Amino acid sequence: MLKQNVSVFISAVTLLTLLGCAPVRDRTRVSDYNRFAIKAAQAELWNEAIFRWQQVVAMEPNNAKAHNNLGVAYEALGKTDDAIAAYQRATKLAPGNQYYRLNYRRCRIHVRRRGIPEDGDEQLEFAPEEAW
Amino acid sequence: METNNWSLRLKRRGSRCFPVSACIGIVFIALTYCGCGRTVTRVSIPVKVQSEIDVSRYSAFAVLPFVQSTRVSRDEVLPQRIGEEIASILRRGLARQKHFEVVSTQETTRLLTGETVAEDWLADIEHLSQLGKYFDVKAVITGNYRFDTDSRPRRYYGERYSVQRQRYVMNYQDYMQKTYFLTLRILIIDVGTEKVIWDESYRRGTAEAHTLGSFIFSQAGPQENTLRELSRRALAEFTRRISPHYEREDRYLVQ
Repeated sequence: MLKQNVSVFISAVTLLTLLGCAPVRDRTRVSDYNRFAIKAAQAELWNEAIFRWQQVVAMEPNNAKAHNNLGVAYEALGKTDDAIAAYQRATKLAPGNQYYRLNYRRCRIHVRRRGIPEDGDEQLEFAPEEAW
Repeated sequence: METNNWSLRLKRRGSRCFPVSACIGIVFIALTYCGCGRTVTRVSIPVKVQSEIDVSRYSAFAVLPFVQSTRVSRDEVLPQRIGEEIASILRRGLARQKHFEVVSTQETTRLLTGETVAEDWLADIEHLSQLGKYFDVKAVITGNYRFDTDSRPRRYYGERYSVQRQRYVMNYQDYMQKTYFLTLRILIIDVGTEKVIWDESYRRGTAEAHTLGSFIFSQAGPQENTLRELSRRALAEFTRRISPHYEREDRYLVQ
């Protein structure tokens, strides 16, 4: 009886540990990817950085950091539309973050200077940083 | 007995120190975690800056010689044909940009044979537009220049070591500061509409320190190189503004 209880206890502990570890492992993977992508971005390997952040977004679609960083990478490669979309998503997910808003605002300034009639013009009017 | 007293004191001190050190440790760990969670990395990215003129429309230019401003003081010794040199520096700068085509210096000289280049040119936009049509370009670039110098005595304060006093003492030296200024006014005239689409002045200066002897020589000596260098700087800014280019700008990556 005692032996059975011990084995049940051990299996329960193992199961709980595994269940608990899974998100932690994912989280670590995401932060590792992010860190690696930032290093790639610092070395101006923007395609590599985009690939990593896209993987992060695939794992965590609501990760505002990844969307923001993805926006920076897109902007560095001149993909302004994708950058705007990524920044919009980041600011929508974390409206209080000043860095996301700053990046988004600077990108918008360039889009406006270039005079591109972008489809997001109406959306931009209601963008969170308007109240900034 | 004495040993027991010491051990008691140590125990008391240890019990007092423990919560403090534990608190410091907890605060340190908490600050480290909070700090790490909000790390922001600044990266600079290339950002395309558009031209301040319509590049698709104004793609071919004729650069006419720059004329000397009539407001130049009489004692200035200006090199001859400097206006043509300024124009040729600008031609070279614009020809390096892939968006622009510029009429060559030889072609301009050949087509302008018989024309009198004077300051009243700049007021006669119609005539300049006609010249532009003659050159078969969309826009004409011209302007005027003014070269001034300003000389005044200055005093430089420093320190020197006095052997007699065995310490540093205040010392000063008088010198002549000669400052050169070049004011370049640049106009772009639309040949089709006969309108001025760009009219801006660029002022550049550089200073030299002279002793009395070198100052006298500088007054008599040639100033072409200074003038060329100043016009190069002013024209570089103009070229940068009218041509699309890349600039670096900061963005923030969040870890």
